[in-house]
Amino acid sequence: MGAKAKAGTKESRWKLSLDSWAVVLALLAALLIRAGVFKHVPW
Amino acid sequence: MADVVTVPQVQPVQPALRFLRVIPGVLLLAAIGYAGKLLEQNVGAYAKAHHWTFPNIEYVLWAIVLGLAISNTAGVPEIFRSGVATYEFWLKAGIVLLGARFLLGDILKLGGVSLVLVAIEIVGSLAFMTFLGRLFKLKPKLTTLLAVGSAVCGVSAIIATKGAIEADDEDSSFSIAAILALGALALFTFPVIGHFLHLSDRAYGLWAGLGVDNTAEATAAGALYSDAAGKLAVLVKSTRNAMIGFVVLAYAIYWASKGQAQAVGNKAAFLWQKFPKFVLGFLLISVLATYHFFNKDQVGALANLSRWAFLLTFAGVGLRTNFKDMRKQGLRPFAVGAIGEVAIAVFTLALVVGASKLFGW
Repeated sequence: MGAKAKAGTKESRWKLSLDSWAVVLALLAALLIRAGVFKHVPW
Repeated sequence: MADVVTVPQVQPVQPALRFLRVIPGVLLLAAIGYAGKLLEQNVGAYAKAHHWTFPNIEYVLWAIVLGLAISNTAGVPEIFRSGVATYEFWLKAGIVLLGARFLLGDILKLGGVSLVLVAIEIVGSLAFMTFLGRLFKLKPKLTTLLAVGSAVCGVSAIIATKGAIEADDEDSSFSIAAILALGALALFTFPVIGHFLHLSDRAYGLWAGLGVDNTAEATAAGALYSDAAGKLAVLVKSTRNAMIGFVVLAYAIYWASKGQAQAVGNKAAFLWQKFPKFVLGFLLISVLATYHFFNKDQVGALANLSRWAFLLTFAGVGLRTNFKDMRKQGLRPFAVGAIGEVAIAVFTLALVVGASKLFGW
């Protein structure tokens, strides 16, 4: 139980929250647009 | 047998499987959002071609109404649910990307004014909701959840506070249902009142950001008025969201001092854990835009990407609002929430009108 709990804690320490994933995705998209991968996003 | 406790075995879900599970719901969000966009373009053109008088209904409202119609008639089948729940994710990604449309100077200027109004709104709302909860003899922790939900930021604040003060699941369900039901009402009433009072985009955006509790509904209520009002509503709402850690920490310390919640150890770590990270992302993108990291076309592309993310959010707002489920939650917390929300809406409207006169907006 102890080892399992420790492993769980270690794993959750590296888990990103929904918030953080949204930031990561948005920043990645911004970098791709900056790098010219996506030149135009239509609306 | 008395000492044998059966714990349901939850099988860990592989990330790839989890990803596959959200795809149908995300596609449904996209389909509804896009249908809303097509309806905006075509209904107006059709009415004009046939010389009908028809108000211009924006995609925001179409997407919400389509979602509401599905959720409250056919319902959302199980296969779509995990994906529909991602609407909060798209909302936050959209807000981060929206940062490209704000220059740092604007944020400091508007953020400074909104910070003062937000502080007044939070203190006033917490005090009033606590008073109402006592008046209606609600359970103290339920009152705390309703107060935090209406003062700070709706569902996220309720969930964060629930964990910190060790409130019952039932209390948090009550509070979330009340906040969501009232948020849905605000979507339709705020724009009508705003137009009736001829509020400027700035005044209305401030009001929507201060008066509507859940971030998705505040964003939608702002966008329903105008693009500029929508931008400002997001900024003000994000300022409110940034306060979440402080309010939750204060309540956690209060309930711990009464011996009804665990004491908070590292307060800085607690604040960081509760701080909405998308606010930092939003600020980072606006700093980059301010220092011309993106050219004009790239800022336009980021703004459009943000609109697409919001499109999915607005469809999700409609799909997750089920009036039958809300009715099941009972009347008393809803009544407290409704009275409180109306009072907060009037109070924040008075604040905004006062600020408009003071600053000549």
